[in-house]
Amino acid sequence: MDAIVLRNVTKEFRKNTIRREYTTFKSEIVQFLKQPRASEMPASVISAVRDVTLIVPRGRTVGLVGRNGSGKSTLLKLVTGIYRPTSGTVEVNGRISALLELGAGFHPDFSGRENIIVNGIILGMSRREIRERMDEIVAFSELGDFIDEPVRTYSSGMYARLAFSVATHVDPDLLIIDEILSVGDEHFARKSTAKMDEFRRAGKTILLVTHDLGTLQARCDEAAWLDAGVLKAYGDPAFVVSEYRQAVAESEVQAETTPGRVETPSHPVGRQPRTGPPAETGRRWGTFEAEIVSVRLRGSDGVERAVFTAEDDFQANVEVAADASLVDLTVEVSFLSQDGTLLWRDSHPLVSGGAAVATLTLNRLGLADGNYRIDVAVFAEQGRVCCDFQKGLHGFAVRSALPSAGLLRPLHQWSVHAAPPVKASV
Amino acid sequence: MIRNFRELWQYRALLWNLTQRELKARYRGSALGFLWTFLNPLLLMAVYGLVFGVIRRSDIQHYTYFIFVGLLPWLWFSSSVGTGASAISDRRDLLTKVRFPAQVLPATVVATNLANYLLTLPLMIALGGAAGIWPSWHVVMFPVVLFVQLVFTIGITFLISALNVAFRDLQQIVVNFLTLWFFVTPVLYRPDDIPASFRRIFLIANPMSVIITSYQGIFYEHRLPHWRALTVVTLGSFLLLWLAARVFEKRREEFAELI
Repeated sequence: MDAIVLRNVTKEFRKNTIRREYTTFKSEIVQFLKQPRASEMPASVISAVRDVTLIVPRGRTVGLVGRNGSGKSTLLKLVTGIYRPTSGTVEVNGRISALLELGAGFHPDFSGRENIIVNGIILGMSRREIRERMDEIVAFSELGDFIDEPVRTYSSGMYARLAFSVATHVDPDLLIIDEILSVGDEHFARKSTAKMDEFRRAGKTILLVTHDLGTLQARCDEAAWLDAGVLKAYGDPAFVVSEYRQAVAESEVQAETTPGRVETPSHPVGRQPRTGPPAETGRRWGTFEAEIVSVRLRGSDGVERAVFTAEDDFQANVEVAADASLVDLTVEVSFLSQDGTLLWRDSHPLVSGGAAVATLTLNRLGLADGNYRIDVAVFAEQGRVCCDFQKGLHGFAVRSALPSAGLLRPLHQWSVHAAPPVKASV
Repeated sequence: MIRNFRELWQYRALLWNLTQRELKARYRGSALGFLWTFLNPLLLMAVYGLVFGVIRRSDIQHYTYFIFVGLLPWLWFSSSVGTGASAISDRRDLLTKVRFPAQVLPATVVATNLANYLLTLPLMIALGGAAGIWPSWHVVMFPVVLFVQLVFTIGITFLISALNVAFRDLQQIVVNFLTLWFFVTPVLYRPDDIPASFRRIFLIANPMSVIITSYQGIFYEHRLPHWRALTVVTLGSFLLLWLAARVFEKRREEFAELI
């Protein structure tokens, strides 16, 4: 049997409840006097989850990824039953324990022990179960004598530890976790992870939201990616994660720079300096006697793109329009890391005057994972006159599922040989 | 309604623990602690005793004891409704994070104040004893009246706590309305003191006056409650509870979204 079955689940929130927070008598009367149900016009509705169909078989660990506000938490609340779907069906088989927030129902003036009881009942344990597991819970939380002190005296780490201890001792069939495994110090984080592995081995179904893609790939059997309430991908974690990272990288590049190419307004290129630069101040300057019309980044297949892997071929096409009388034009391309460190700069002479496309080709990009910036410039008179400098207007990202850190990923090889003194047994 | 109360029964351990906790938390940290349970109604009684017993001399015998008999159940009712109004709307932390029956929250408020009432009963009896009034066999009716008031109080509290999620004005309105309600209920005076022309309407339209006069009958006048009036109030209370549970069920889906 499947643990969670979501069929065409859509959750909409009426916008006025978000904007004005509360209805008042007055608004309700006004509403009543106006056309009935005017508030249900489609314009005033926000869809947090749209037509999601998701089936989680029993015993699976499913990781949910997505950007902030993509509907992950809403989906968890739908599964938990805190929200009811606007349309579609939610079916959950088994006892569910949801860790959407640590310490639900904790009362600051009561001791840790007293809070374990109420919190445990809220999470669905019976009083007998709590009594039986009390010592175990206290031991797991590692609070020692603090367990009999009021919770308000706890540090936030202690608070989280206590709450996590209770929550994981509920013994659910289905555990729902919303980004809270990262509580506590290193030691406790490891313990929490071990606890989760224990759950997995015991054949429990786990649905968790995480932003730690490493955890997701290491611990989940399946991954689901939500974007703006829509289930974009579901399946093998490595695949879903790479899809997700690709999308994030693309939108980051888009946010950091203006889109892949800057089209300058078409106008005759003249000698006199123009009034005001055509693009953002501080990111573009020069005499504009020669202009960079566009910068296009392509892969080896010739398709324009913003995300590459370290092994990809890389091509930058810089299209320049210059006054025919200009001489000694050069085009310059700089690669910078996100923090502005210059990685490499190179320039190349252009055919003098007129329109031209300069293409810079790198066989194998060789950069490590990260976001990169490209500054492009056109100079005249052997670099003495800056005609058009575009700073930070272009960029790309490198995403590869390879274990490298830093900025570079040079072409390299690893080889392992047995050390000489080893007694060969083959 | 049945589902509503079945869930409440399933979560009785939570209800019990939350009630315990509320009782303990109420005066935790104060020097007199639990004594305030007794001091609060005593002081309130002293105020009314001063105004209506000394300044506007009431002709009711053993006036302070008389006040106490009606004031204690009234406080149970008014505190339940007054704090119960925001019982759900104030618990965003719980309702948006955990799945559990929301009716536990208003029920906890009613239960806490009931416990408070029961705890102050010995004080009331002692006060009557000091005046030479001891409970008679009529107290057999006390559990019945108590039960009727419980049904009525839960009904009102459920209704208001559920509606207050969407209409926050309600909790303000309720507080003010309760003051009026207190003075039109014969707690500080006897029904005979109401001008005859509207005595009937005062007593018929206000279930609390039937309930309060029933307590006064049992503990002060040593008579049984008026059967007919009490039966009508009982039926009415159940009707109210049924209606309240329906409204509650209809609205509970929006609780998590609106608070």
